[in-house]
Amino acid sequence: MLKTIIEKEIRDIIGSTKFAVTFGVCAVLILLSFFAGANNYQVSRARYEAAKTENLRQFAGLTDWFSVRQHRIFLPPQPLGTLVTGISNDIGRTTEITGRGELTPDDSRFNEDPLFAVFRFLDLDFLFGVVLSLLAILFGFDAISGEKERGTLRLVLANAVPRGTYVLGRLCGSFIALAAPLVATVVLGCLLLPVFGIALTGGEWLRLGLVLLAGLLYFGVFLTVAVFVSAVTHRSSSSFLVLLVVWILAVMIVPRAAVLLAGRAVEVPAVDELDAQKAAFGTQLWREHREKLSSFKPTQNDDMQGLMDEFNRFMNDLADERDNKMQEFAGRLNEDRQNRQQVQRTLAFSLARISPAAQLSLAVSSLAGTSLELKEHYLQEATAYQAKYAQFMKEKTGINTGGGMMVVQVRDEGDEEPEPIDLGELPVFEFRPVGFARSLGAAIVDLGLLALGNLVFFAAAFVAFGRYDVR
Amino acid sequence: MNEESTAQEQPMLEAAALTKRYEDGVLAVDNVSFTVMPGQIFAMLGGNGAGKTTTINLFLNFLEPTTGETRINGVVTHREPLKAKQHIAFVSENVMLYPNFTAIQNLDFFARLGGRTEYSKTDYRDVLLRVGLAEDVHHKRLKGFSKGMRQKCGIAIAMLKNAPAILLDEPTAGLDPQAGYDFIKLLGALRDEGKAILMSTHDIFRAREIADIIAIMNRGRLIMQRNAAELAGEDLEQLYLQYMAGSNSSPENNQPGAGPCSKQ
Repeated sequence: MLKTIIEKEIRDIIGSTKFAVTFGVCAVLILLSFFAGANNYQVSRARYEAAKTENLRQFAGLTDWFSVRQHRIFLPPQPLGTLVTGISNDIGRTTEITGRGELTPDDSRFNEDPLFAVFRFLDLDFLFGVVLSLLAILFGFDAISGEKERGTLRLVLANAVPRGTYVLGRLCGSFIALAAPLVATVVLGCLLLPVFGIALTGGEWLRLGLVLLAGLLYFGVFLTVAVFVSAVTHRSSSSFLVLLVVWILAVMIVPRAAVLLAGRAVEVPAVDELDAQKAAFGTQLWREHREKLSSFKPTQNDDMQGLMDEFNRFMNDLADERDNKMQEFAGRLNEDRQNRQQVQRTLAFSLARISPAAQLSLAVSSLAGTSLELKEHYLQEATAYQAKYAQFMKEKTGINTGGGMMVVQVRDEGDEEPEPIDLGELPVFEFRPVGFARSLGAAIVDLGLLALGNLVFFAAAFVAFGRYDVR
Repeated sequence: MNEESTAQEQPMLEAAALTKRYEDGVLAVDNVSFTVMPGQIFAMLGGNGAGKTTTINLFLNFLEPTTGETRINGVVTHREPLKAKQHIAFVSENVMLYPNFTAIQNLDFFARLGGRTEYSKTDYRDVLLRVGLAEDVHHKRLKGFSKGMRQKCGIAIAMLKNAPAILLDEPTAGLDPQAGYDFIKLLGALRDEGKAILMSTHDIFRAREIADIIAIMNRGRLIMQRNAAELAGEDLEQLYLQYMAGSNSSPENNQPGAGPCSKQ
């Protein structure tokens, strides 16, 4: 019985003009998103390589490590980030490494190419979030009410068909008929990735598979919602109208409203505000240190190099002291801000998770490594690199080059021309994406909520159809 | 079928003191009782809102009775609806099937739904030919079918289910005379196969032509129930008008359980 209903549903959908048109549009959009993502990745990769080369080029010919200034590291583009962009285009990718102090990444992709920020990218998050949900509504809104209007429902239920079996059959049939071709298209897009020059690792394929799973769960939620609504309405037009309102609320309103509400409920001091406080504190420190500077009394006045070394050590100590105080002060401010931000974020996500669209976005961006965590992770990686860089510079120069200091090199005429520094020695910044277990851990809540949504709305559709007046 | 054999048989369709009052207070069916034996055609006449379709809906368990019950082959429909529906086929006033499917595909789906998985395409072809649907449209999608063609498909589906009872809700409404004639002929053949047929209709003339028992419903009540022999020589149209006007409503005819009337 169930098999008969599923087969009928698949045949009915696949044989319809509506399916041919919508599937054609979806297939083109999915393949286009893969193509656009791959293209975007290649452009970003080329820019990244050029920026790295340019960074090293500026140091070419330098003969001492003291002169290495404005060393920058860059967030490399991630292959999955091109398919699920998340916040990867919004955060700063370039970070200047001085050896000490706070790091502030800048030069986001959207900062460079604001045009792309206007309509954002056509990625899988958008396609699944908007197109799949509409597709589910388009094919599910008349599942019950439409059958009643057409008159087929009475004929079906005049047979010994349990209502639960019927609604399950319709859901399964619709899901298979619509999801199978979409999955096939996504798989085709995946197979084209190597052709477009993107080689994914095994872990990335696994992540992509889970992104697809999240998309299917999301599609299932909207399909079950559509069937449920069609089982509580008696006209397909009413069902469509209700579902349109549900879609607008779930996809467009709730996630944005959640962020707005959380923003109102939990105040987070602006970065500029904090920067002003830090600058004022920094100025105060400079003032104090300028006074200390006047107290510098060299122990040896006849050896110029010895004098400079002593002065540099003095300055380095001052810089260290200033840096420690500043770090302590900034740390307190940042910690307070981060705590508030965390509360705000938890509230915003908790509210937004009412919407399956938010659940999908959070799940796929976590899996693709382009969630909010990317910014924090990049900053952590950059901070770790800065420590490594500071250590390296100290080994090379004897001091931490990040502090304010004066470098005077004394060279006699007979001295040999110094050799250029070997830039190959400079520590390389290697960005390691967020680990799979951590990504999955972040996504599992939303994957679970999406799965739960399927069960809840199926149960609701089951109960509603059990009471449905088929006359 | 004769009276003796009918008396020994169990009614295939039975309404016992059937009453349905809707939530808004409207009394759609009021204490209606009748039986339909195997090999009988029972025609319910009545105006719009008389309660004919509600009675059929109660048999199909699309509605729960307020009091009383309907039984199909002895199974109380609102207690064991799925079991009861195994014994029944249904043809609605305006048969609507799946427009993207061909006639054969529709037949296949509904036959399987009715638990009949043994049919071949030849069986579908044969039954469609039997109901008078030309072979050249068997593999065409239903979206282009006329009402008469869909009605033929509907009766073909009912025949394929091969259930002992058939419910027909205004089956001849909107059919052209030839299609109506063919349909009535087909009903006669099904009766001869022993099917118990309950039919609601406005068509007095066809009812008289084919039915073994004719009942008239008005405002939810069964106000008349007579067999074909009792109606012989009567002007049924006049009788119908009189009953509907309330001038010929005798208590004995108005009583539930006035039947069963045997086929003569």
